[in-house]
Amino acid sequence: MGQFFISILIILFGGFFSLILVRKAKFAKIITVFLLSIGCLSGLMDAVLNLIQPGIAGASFKYLNVFFLAFRMDGLSGFFLVVIFAVCLLATLYSFHYMEHSGNDVRTAVNYFFFSILIASMALVVTAANMITFMLFWEIMSLSSFFLVIYKHHKAESRKAGYLYFVFSHVGAMFIFVAFGIVYGYTGSFGFDAMGSLPETAKILVFIFSFVGFGSKAGVFPFHVWLPHAHPAAPSHISAVMSGVMIKIGIYGIIKMYVLLNFHTPIFGNIVIVAGVVSGILGVVYALGQHDLKRLLAYHSVENIGIILIGLGIGMIGVSSKNPLMAVLGFTGGLFHVLNHSIFKSLLFMGAGMVLHKTGTRSIDALGGLIKKMKITGITFIIGSLAICGLPPFNGFVGEFFIYIGGFKGIALENSVFAASIFAIVSLAVIGGLALACFTKVVGVVFQGEPRTKAAVDVDEKGPTMLISMSILAGACILIGIFPQMIIWMPIKAVSALGLGYNPIDFESILQMTANITLAATIFLITLLPVIAIRWFFYRGKIIRRSGTWGCGFTQPTVKMQYTGSSYASFILDFFRPVAPLDEDHPKITGRFPLKTYYKSQVNDIAELNMKRVVVNPVLFLFDKLRWIQQGDIHLYIGYILLAIILLLVFI
Amino acid sequence: MIESIILWLFAISAAPFFSAMILKVKAFFGGRKGPPLLINYYTLIKLFKKGSVYSTSTTIMFKLGPIISLGSAITVLMFLPIAGQQAIFSFNGDIIFILYTMGLSRFFTIAAAMDTASPFEGMGAAREAYFPIICEAATFMIFILFYRLTGELQLSAYFSGDNTIALWNLAGAPLLFIIFSFFIILLTENSRVPADDPATHLELTMIHEVMVLDHSGPDLGLIELGSFCKLFFYSTIISRLILPFDLGFPGLAFVLYLLGLALVYIAVGVIESIIARYRMDAVPQFVLTSFALAFFATIITLEFIR
Repeated sequence: MGQFFISILIILFGGFFSLILVRKAKFAKIITVFLLSIGCLSGLMDAVLNLIQPGIAGASFKYLNVFFLAFRMDGLSGFFLVVIFAVCLLATLYSFHYMEHSGNDVRTAVNYFFFSILIASMALVVTAANMITFMLFWEIMSLSSFFLVIYKHHKAESRKAGYLYFVFSHVGAMFIFVAFGIVYGYTGSFGFDAMGSLPETAKILVFIFSFVGFGSKAGVFPFHVWLPHAHPAAPSHISAVMSGVMIKIGIYGIIKMYVLLNFHTPIFGNIVIVAGVVSGILGVVYALGQHDLKRLLAYHSVENIGIILIGLGIGMIGVSSKNPLMAVLGFTGGLFHVLNHSIFKSLLFMGAGMVLHKTGTRSIDALGGLIKKMKITGITFIIGSLAICGLPPFNGFVGEFFIYIGGFKGIALENSVFAASIFAIVSLAVIGGLALACFTKVVGVVFQGEPRTKAAVDVDEKGPTMLISMSILAGACILIGIFPQMIIWMPIKAVSALGLGYNPIDFESILQMTANITLAATIFLITLLPVIAIRWFFYRGKIIRRSGTWGCGFTQPTVKMQYTGSSYASFILDFFRPVAPLDEDHPKITGRFPLKTYYKSQVNDIAELNMKRVVVNPVLFLFDKLRWIQQGDIHLYIGYILLAIILLLVFI
Repeated sequence: MIESIILWLFAISAAPFFSAMILKVKAFFGGRKGPPLLINYYTLIKLFKKGSVYSTSTTIMFKLGPIISLGSAITVLMFLPIAGQQAIFSFNGDIIFILYTMGLSRFFTIAAAMDTASPFEGMGAAREAYFPIICEAATFMIFILFYRLTGELQLSAYFSGDNTIALWNLAGAPLLFIIFSFFIILLTENSRVPADDPATHLELTMIHEVMVLDHSGPDLGLIELGSFCKLFFYSTIISRLILPFDLGFPGLAFVLYLLGLALVYIAVGVIESIIARYRMDAVPQFVLTSFALAFFATIITLEFIR
């Protein structure tokens, strides 16, 4: 694991340099971006090599006596390392021009510092081989990303987002602590390997606790409340990393726990599928209702985590019902979607960052017609949108295809599996349709049509490194979508490393599926050729004029008359009103010649609404009653500590 | 293979003809003579002869819309077994590819509409984005039933050769539900009455027609041809479902198939003549009926068919 640790060191050095060279900001940024990129590149190469030649490499450091640190790299962690390093590499590249006019050198330096720590801690979490190491880097990861979220700490909105994120990540960590505590209570060791020997009821409890803990990081409904606040608050390359990579570490945790517990009950699979379906559908419904571009993308992360969980759930059910192909397809589809989502979601966040950078607004309804001035941003954003909707021939389709096929395998099995499979397949179809509605809204309102306000009129796109990163990601979307066999071995290696009783994997049949996808995509692309040829033939030498849009007889159209994002989505949101209550605010129009009016609407997230009622208020009430404990006297506090220790000694 | 390709070419070229049958039926109900059966070919020729006017608001997406929508419609036809023959291409899971390719064409149609900055087209686009979601869920429900019955995930396994007969023998009663369900999907996906009215005169009430308001000339021709092909795709499936017989005589199967097609198109025409379109907010309920029917059919098979 030598190269891995060297890469981590280079990355940390990069962050460190940005801090000490803060007075020479320009120079510091070049050094930092260079070192971070080199570190990520070297880490990426190491991870890929590790996946190609499957072997388990490990290292441990016993400085801390009982609490020793141990690392291990297997197929699953290798796969996640590829995702982490690849996306962070491009995000670093993107940040070079994105952070150009940040206006505050210290803040930029601090941002790079925590960014480097975030990358390093994510890489160390997925290679951790015992609970101590895992929790240590898990906490560092949460804290460093917290500091990245409050980048604009002078804004109340950012502070609130940071606070919310802080609370959620620590309550989530508490759940993981409880799960690990139960394991420690039974096994008396911090190692991961002893987990398989737990009694079955304890296993279920551990899984549920850790699912809640990891789910709150991953953004599983209803623990996703922090996500739509935190992602927009951070700078766009950080949003890209957080949404594309960091929340996937939660997914890693769920898979890891499932493997370690080694308990193949249908309960786990059903929990995961239900959580996935709920997150998937509600995530995209709330996304439809958003007016803020980055918030909308953040809700789409909830949706995609849902899709990933559906895949994993199908895999788990495949394992418990002893159907190896279903298991492999479900897990492969889920993991493939992890990779795909990290690609297109970071692409979309980068595009949104460019839009924010040039127009200064995140409000969807204030934009319009950007594709005319921002060609590369527009086209790459559209490619990302097509990919996230799961449409062929883009990469999003491939992962969903595997999940579908896995789900269909379950249709042929007994009734309980059958019901779960129907649920999964129909939900995936609905999610796909809703995502399409949502992204046609974004593309249509932000990039097409006419500019709705002045902010969107005079724009350009500059920043070569930003454009390069986006183009690379968009290229990856198309390439993987047409030739999935280039990448498919990565999730397969990860899945075979899970060792869930289906090895050896029927690699041939999966390669056959990827070949089919390639065939289908090629057929489609070739079919387009004659159509294009016909179009060209019939337009040869014809008079082509340009004129205004046909206004159905109305001759004085204005840009204000365009359909807005809110009106576009309202029709669908009506259907989902019970789960997505809509707050509207507009004065009644009176008189023959009404004066200026306004319309405000907001789609409420029921998790957020109920969190206050069900959790926050009772907790506040309880602590209010306990206020007398806190007297502000240090002696009393020391007394409390002593008392607590004595009580613990007596009882344990 | 050769037969399949010939049938595929036949499908593309005959699709406009069959769509004209709907107009003829509607004219019959209205007591008129109606346009000639070749009217759609005349329209296409007229459109292809013309030039185009593009809105100053539009971009490349506007020109991509017609290409992708026709391209995906004819791609989808390649995976469809026509008249019980094998499809040109077929693989395990081609259904998912077909449905998502139609999604791709929807994405580009909507994008082309949003490109014009017209409020009417935006309105149509919002509706176009909505109804097919339910249709997709219903279609998947139907294929879940078919998968349960056959264990295969490709159109050829359901609609080529003796497979459709086998489906009937396995689960005749649920298939009746499926035919109705699929017919509702056909009406909605192809913007027919009662989900949408292709002949309405007010832009505010249109769905599909309003989205192509700004297209003209060959571009509009491509779109029209694409929608004829799409309707033909759905009709072929229903035709095979209602007349699945193979009489052992090569020509006869094809005649039966044409008969089935004519029945479907006439049914569409009759429905269009005798009922009015639903109010916009009632359309989702109408579409959900198809989902409910398919769901019910699947549940029946759980208990009665092993």
